[in-house]
Amino acid sequence: MSKNNGKGAKGEFEFPQPAKKQTFSEMIYNPQEGTFFGRTGKSWSQLLLFYTIFYIVLAALFTICMQGLLSTISDTEPKWKLQDSLIGTNPGLGFRPLSEQTERGSVIAFDGKKPAESDYWIELIDDFLRDYNHTEGRDMKHCGFGQVLEPTDVCVVNTDLFGGCSKANNYGYKTNQPCIFLKLNKIFGWIPEVYDKEEKDMPDDLKKVINETKTEERQQVWVSCNGHLGKDKENFQNIRYFPSQGFPSYYYPFLNQPGYLSPLVAVQFNSPPKGQMLDVECRAWAKNIQYSGSVRDRKGSVTFQILLD
Amino acid sequence: MALRSDYEHGRADSYRVATVIATDDDNRTADGQYKSRRKMPAKVNKKENLDDLKQELDIDFHKISPEELYQRFQTHPENGLSHAKAKENLERDGPNALTPPKQTPEWVKFCKNLFGGFAMLLWIGAILCFVAYSIQASTSEEPADDNLYLGIVLSAVVIVTGIFSYYQESKSSKIMESFKNMVPQFATVIREGEKLTLRAEDLVLGDVVEVKFGDRIPADIRIIEARNFKVDNSSLTGESEPQSRGAEFTHENPLETKNLAFFSTNAVEGTAKGVVISCGDHTVMGRIAGLASGLDTGETPIAKEIHHFIHLITGVAVFLGVTFFVIAFILGYHWLDAVIFLIGIIVANVPEGLLATVTVCLTLTAKRMASKNCLVKNLEAVETLGSTSTICSDKTGTLTQNRMTVAHMWFDNQIIEADTTEDQSGVQYDRTSPGFKALSRIATLCNRAEFKGGQDGVPILKKEVSGDASEAALLKCMELALGDVMNIRKRNKKIAEVPFNSTNKYQVSIHETEDTNDPRYLLVMKGAPERILERCSTIFINGKEKVLDEEMKEAFNNAYMELGGLGERVLGFCDFMLPSDKYPNGFKFNTDDINFPIDNLRFVGLMSMIDPPRAAVPDAVAKCRSAGIKVIMVTGDHPITAKAIAKSVGIISEGNETVEDIAQRLNIPVSEVNPREAKAAVVHGAELRDVSSDQLDEILRYHTEIVFARTSPQQKLIIVEGCQRMGAIVAVTGDGVNDSPALKKADIGVAMGIAGSDVSKQAADMILLDDNFASIVTGVEEGRLIFDNLKKSIAYTLTSNIPEISPFLAFILCDIPLPLGTVTILCIDLGTDMVPAISLAYEHAEADIMKRPPRDPFNDKLVNSRLISMAYGQIGMIQAAAGFFVYFVIMAENGFLPKKLFGIRKMWDSKAVNDLTDSYGQEWTYRDRKTLEYTCHTAFFISIVVVQWADLIICKTRRNSIFQQGMRNWALNFGLVFETVLAAFLSYCPGMEKGLRMYPLKLVWWFPAIPFALAIFIYDETRRFYLRRNPGGWLEQETYY
Repeated sequence: MSKNNGKGAKGEFEFPQPAKKQTFSEMIYNPQEGTFFGRTGKSWSQLLLFYTIFYIVLAALFTICMQGLLSTISDTEPKWKLQDSLIGTNPGLGFRPLSEQTERGSVIAFDGKKPAESDYWIELIDDFLRDYNHTEGRDMKHCGFGQVLEPTDVCVVNTDLFGGCSKANNYGYKTNQPCIFLKLNKIFGWIPEVYDKEEKDMPDDLKKVINETKTEERQQVWVSCNGHLGKDKENFQNIRYFPSQGFPSYYYPFLNQPGYLSPLVAVQFNSPPKGQMLDVECRAWAKNIQYSGSVRDRKGSVTFQILLD
Repeated sequence: MALRSDYEHGRADSYRVATVIATDDDNRTADGQYKSRRKMPAKVNKKENLDDLKQELDIDFHKISPEELYQRFQTHPENGLSHAKAKENLERDGPNALTPPKQTPEWVKFCKNLFGGFAMLLWIGAILCFVAYSIQASTSEEPADDNLYLGIVLSAVVIVTGIFSYYQESKSSKIMESFKNMVPQFATVIREGEKLTLRAEDLVLGDVVEVKFGDRIPADIRIIEARNFKVDNSSLTGESEPQSRGAEFTHENPLETKNLAFFSTNAVEGTAKGVVISCGDHTVMGRIAGLASGLDTGETPIAKEIHHFIHLITGVAVFLGVTFFVIAFILGYHWLDAVIFLIGIIVANVPEGLLATVTVCLTLTAKRMASKNCLVKNLEAVETLGSTSTICSDKTGTLTQNRMTVAHMWFDNQIIEADTTEDQSGVQYDRTSPGFKALSRIATLCNRAEFKGGQDGVPILKKEVSGDASEAALLKCMELALGDVMNIRKRNKKIAEVPFNSTNKYQVSIHETEDTNDPRYLLVMKGAPERILERCSTIFINGKEKVLDEEMKEAFNNAYMELGGLGERVLGFCDFMLPSDKYPNGFKFNTDDINFPIDNLRFVGLMSMIDPPRAAVPDAVAKCRSAGIKVIMVTGDHPITAKAIAKSVGIISEGNETVEDIAQRLNIPVSEVNPREAKAAVVHGAELRDVSSDQLDEILRYHTEIVFARTSPQQKLIIVEGCQRMGAIVAVTGDGVNDSPALKKADIGVAMGIAGSDVSKQAADMILLDDNFASIVTGVEEGRLIFDNLKKSIAYTLTSNIPEISPFLAFILCDIPLPLGTVTILCIDLGTDMVPAISLAYEHAEADIMKRPPRDPFNDKLVNSRLISMAYGQIGMIQAAAGFFVYFVIMAENGFLPKKLFGIRKMWDSKAVNDLTDSYGQEWTYRDRKTLEYTCHTAFFISIVVVQWADLIICKTRRNSIFQQGMRNWALNFGLVFETVLAAFLSYCPGMEKGLRMYPLKLVWWFPAIPFALAIFIYDETRRFYLRRNPGGWLEQETYY
């Protein structure tokens, strides 16, 4: 019964033996067997060929899938919009100048007396506003409240109205009265539902501004800046907003119109404390902007820090 | 003094003490020996000790005169020791009990589970994580917690799996403890002239003990008085036959001489009185146990495989890590970041769930084996039987039933085969012939054996009998043939009896017959056949009494030779009706001075007995053969019997000859036969004594069928070592104490659950609960299956490593937002992948695994480069492509087209940037894009689950098509459903976005991975198709794992 199975009667009980130990140099190149790292050149090239073909086929599959994906995607508008998209319907705020060195975070640190330091921020703002200043050849409208606009119309953002935050004034950086430009994040198709009356939890200065604004001009997404977590109130007595303390609603909706520019609010800090980090939180006010100030789940607001040396 | 010796006992391991006393016994006279023992330095080299124990026993207690013996122990044959002396001895030597084999402390066992092999890899991973976290914590204000969590999870995984496997092991060793519950044993001792019953533990050297049949010998004793005393040395020598013991010194070898009886052996007959010459660990059995517990066992094959696997995985991890460390450096990353990357990549390579998977797979198999009567003590031993290439099997009790049974009868000049099967399913014979009637009458009457009481429901063959094994065999045979033997004996009342003794070698009894008309007395006699024949002048054939002429003597001789050649013990039977004139009713028969004829009797027949093989054994041996496993018989029994049994169970297959057979056939001296021509060999222990290890290797190499007979425990060990030296993975089966060193040394020791001694069970890795050799075949099958299935399971688990690592690499190299996070990786490794990976343990075999040779432990690895190449280089890559595709789909559909993503990483991960622009001019807050990123993680995770469906299905088979294998593994089908449900739960359960940062997906985002799942399935089916079509081809060499 045992004779004719396995490897035959003779080899049946040949026990396997461990392979001969190789030296390290033999592992790399074994001249007897002509192997590099345990394979001959032929074996290596066969393996290489196999993997090359395998990966070419895989790459082809991947490319076909990607082409299929791109064919379902429009160039001009995102596939999922507003609540269908993960961007949602709750725009946040952005600010400039923002250092390109991400490790500097959101700290704007400078000394107005030192040109090198202030020029860094001035240049960043110059770059940012270049699009706003060079609008030649673009089809843009000077929009106003009450005007009827087509959805494709693009409104001008007038940089001359920035007052103390103008280019001529070096955006206040040379005089230690830095300006920060705020903008509301663009979300495709988003239309604000503005507050045309003061709200209970608005800061007093904003309430005052709203009440002083003409009713037809109250169609704005209001902005207010304050000390983060309500600290440093005294340092926020003396801040000013240009051209107004809000983003006029005629800029919306954003529909990826060519040449579209976000409206800006320049915030000037006239007397920030020296040598002390000023933690600023700015928030946008509209009925359809939820606010959350928590660090991990920030909504409808932005924080940055000003440090004057 | 007492304190001091206690101290030494507490410290010394059992084998150490045993050795010390043994060496002292050798050369010293009585007075000095114990004093000098205490002065012996305690730290004796362990190796020397073991070598010492490997020597055969060498003592002189059996040689010296009784007077010297009494003097040496300061004892007296009638009065025994004084109480004071006994107390002193007890305090000096400790109790007379075996020190249990050195137990590893529980915490060491626990630590072994916690830090051994695979666990160490995870620990290193966890430590690296903590290192990375502390680097991050010390350099940045808001460190990412990922590494901390990962470290904690890794540690938790190791600890939980460690506890689990510790629990598994302690559970099986608890079963051991229940075996260990020994019946308390008592001894009858004479001290100061009084007979006392003491616990056996309290016996001391020099005690005079009395032993009667049914007792266990309480210590090694030198017999000073004996009456018909017989002992069963089977637990010590493996010989099932009782041996008579007396006061006379008969043999140099202490194991053979008649005046020694050994600890733990059974007295089966008669009574004896003896002096205790050694106790506890110093006894012959104690020495063997010490040898067994002192031997080091190597790594199990599966442990070696896991080490090899760890080497491979670590190699790949370190290679990848270092490569990307260098690349990250070239790309201009800060060196600290590069270190974090390095650690991240290394840790990502660690298959977190695999340790648990392997442990659970082994546990499941262990459970399955336990239900088939193989109890596995050590989880790793589950696989060892599958790798086994040689089985060294003990004969008695393992291959045989361990009870003498009548196998053949010779009467009316023909040999009749009796039924030896356990369930009486064999051939039946004619029970009506006058020859059988006469023979059965002698066998019934001239027999002192009796059934023990209280066994009414037990089948006759399984009943316990008091008395000699041969007589018991006759009793059972007659009970089966005639019915109530006791009643027959009652009707044929015994008048006189001369019991068997070794000088006259016969047994005679005289009975009244049940025939009331016949006043004659019946004389019945049985004994050694040639002696019986000498006493006969006639022979009873076919109902007629004939003169015993030369022709009949020739017929007798032939039958005797034939039965003897079968390894059977033959008894002759004769009777004689005493003439009523000379021996009238009421005649006083004198058995001391015989006054009745014991010559010129009537010869009736022969009966021969053997311990028959178990019914299932020949089949099991054949299965082992076809599975390429060499079966060697190693027994303490005589060569002829061993050879007969070996032939009947197929260990020596039909037509294969030994050197002796060839010599006999060709009629030439044994020395002229070329040993290479003989496939089979029967090697006697005495020959083995003079054989060098090279010669032993030659025997093992050139003979395919080997029987070792008359082997000592030490020789069993040497044989096992010889097999291992040749590269075999050796399984040893055995039940006696004498087998335990070999059991321990073997790669897997298999002890017998019912007949096995405690020591053997302790030494073994596996216990056959039904004592059946056939259960080993089950073990082999399960072991081979689990090895294959572990391969599949590991291939499945490793594959998902690539889609897990590649996102991180892309994150570093292409500066894209991270496609798959740590939490989701853990959800795969410890969540969705676990149940499917474990379910592969239930996969049934692809082909008959019992038809292929055992695996080559040097080349057929659990995890080899082909498996890694398949898992990492091929399937894993397809999976990664699927994951990335889903990632790009979600990013693009939400606004970030693929080309926008490259290089965006820094801005993306910066909290300061609250308005990151996408391809459509939309601006994303930090929070919103992190939501997008985590949604991508979830989708990547889901896509891995989808492609793992295909991976699981292709991992079911290594060669066959899934259409051949089918989907009948319901555990696996459940695994498929389970991982899907778990993935959906993780994605859609409210609150998951807070806890695990997993977000609900749109239904359409489940689909992009499907083409890749199909690709995996089609690719691998194609690959396996070519594998089957071109066996041994390039594809097989490169991709068959």
